[in-house]
Amino acid sequence: MSEFFGFNGAELQAISLSVQVALICSLISLPLALALGYLMARKEFWGKSILESIINLPLVMPPVTTGYLLLLLLGSKSLIGGWLLDNLGIKLAFSFYAAVIASIVVSFPLIVRSIRTSMELVDTGLEDASRILGAGKLKTFIRITIPLALPGVISGTILAFARSLGEFGATITFAGNIEGESQTLPLAIYSYMQIPGQEDSTFRLVLVSIFISFLAMILSEWYIKKMKDART
Amino acid sequence: MLELDIILARNNFDLEIRETFAEGITGIYGPSGAGKTSMLQAIAGLVKPKKGYIQIGGKALFDARQKLHIPIEKRHIGYVFQEGRLFPHMTVEKNLRYGQKKNGNHQVSFEEVVELLKLDRLLDRKITQISGGESQRTALGRSLLSSPDLLLLDEPFSAVDMVLRKQILPFIIRIQQKFRIPILVVSHDLPDLLKLSDRLCLIRDGKVIGHARYHELLKKPELADLFGSTSHINAIDMRVVQTFPESGLTILHGNGEGQEVRIKCEQSREVYQKGQEIKVFIQADDIALSKEKLENVSIQNQLKGKITEIIHREASQLCIVDVGFRLLVEISAESQKRMEIRKGSEVWCLFKSVAIDVAD
Repeated sequence: MSEFFGFNGAELQAISLSVQVALICSLISLPLALALGYLMARKEFWGKSILESIINLPLVMPPVTTGYLLLLLLGSKSLIGGWLLDNLGIKLAFSFYAAVIASIVVSFPLIVRSIRTSMELVDTGLEDASRILGAGKLKTFIRITIPLALPGVISGTILAFARSLGEFGATITFAGNIEGESQTLPLAIYSYMQIPGQEDSTFRLVLVSIFISFLAMILSEWYIKKMKDART
Repeated sequence: MLELDIILARNNFDLEIRETFAEGITGIYGPSGAGKTSMLQAIAGLVKPKKGYIQIGGKALFDARQKLHIPIEKRHIGYVFQEGRLFPHMTVEKNLRYGQKKNGNHQVSFEEVVELLKLDRLLDRKITQISGGESQRTALGRSLLSSPDLLLLDEPFSAVDMVLRKQILPFIIRIQQKFRIPILVVSHDLPDLLKLSDRLCLIRDGKVIGHARYHELLKKPELADLFGSTSHINAIDMRVVQTFPESGLTILHGNGEGQEVRIKCEQSREVYQKGQEIKVFIQADDIALSKEKLENVSIQNQLKGKITEIIHREASQLCIVDVGFRLLVEISAESQKRMEIRKGSEVWCLFKSVAIDVAD
């Protein structure tokens, strides 16, 4: 048993890398998704449906395609990627940052959708009431809209976190499969599967992957329930 | 003072209001869909008129010509919504303190509001744990604590039942007495409005068709259908002169000049303080007229007065009788003819003490 739980260095690296990518992805996505979710839920503007389609595209496209498009857009030979490399010395493609970017792009539609839906359910009358009481738009957003949409905000963040943990296609295309740099859990699992005699490693990582996802779900469910109880 | 001269586009008509509202309570009355709530929304800044201006105490809130539209949060207006609109994720106290101002024109302390609206036992409650009337009181208190220059009440009674209405009315009257700000109360329930104030602004099809004292508006035949079949109510300010707690009897004086009037009122269970100011309500059709004082009769109240006006209605006659204060009495046309009652006639107004309702 002790050997079963004894992860080797590469495995631990993959686990920690995955958690890092997923956490950073969630943290960056959250504020963006809050702003965009609010915009989508409350405002009408020109090009709204186009913007919506662009955000949702990674949801319906094969992840490999998303990764390929990212490579075209941000790769070292592309306009933006090339500029970043020449002027700032930043190489995005095939790096840790590429794994984060791929995760963000792929999970973003999920978190935006969840936040938007829950914000649509927040009574705008309460926001009006808040402003009449002297609170500006930002204070109203922070003290009324976000707290009332919190279940959706949390489940959206967890969803993005979990999607990021499971991200494979876009990551391997745009970030590669570099140990300690961009080899996240699913990529490590895939790599071990290719090597005969690594069934233990594969299985251990599969268990870890299930465990992390499960934990995230349970925590969010528990928190949402606690919050609902507090209101009734 | 609130000055309003606006044209506001609604879905099916234009709302055109050009009115001035003084300090005190004004009832905004009219059929549903007439534009009453739209007017409040324009004052609060929730909707933007296409023309005109809005001023409170000389300070402009909106001026189309100068492209001025003060943001909602900077208007210093209290708005109590029909549904209360309390924040469900906060306790009663957090709701009350949400818009609390450190300094404002009509500063009021948290303790004052809690005492005035009897909220002390509710402070730690969640919004889901309080009743409809308690919600409305909390919403009122929340507005007052934001020290508004003007208070707008949109159908404050429609979400609460009759018993609770009776509880909320005196709070609104007390708020007015204490804070001396203009209060506009929108309702489609005339008796409720009359219990608050006899100053009415009538709105129909997006226009003000009358803005005066109730008795003055009654005289206008073109407004008759607006008052329609609703019962007419006398709301009279009185002072307690003497109380007999064991029998429940209370003797009151009208505040009007001229002859002193005594009313015996058995209905109140509470014991009133001598000198206390209270408001009593008597329905116009609960009062009978007699040409002379009746000696052997069980009716406790007989007030002598002179008829100053007779308003003809389809089925009945409305008589305004000066008994020291003005009393509205509804009698049938047939009675009027038989008794030969006309303007200037001396009459006795008769009503049972149980016909009197008291705001408290």
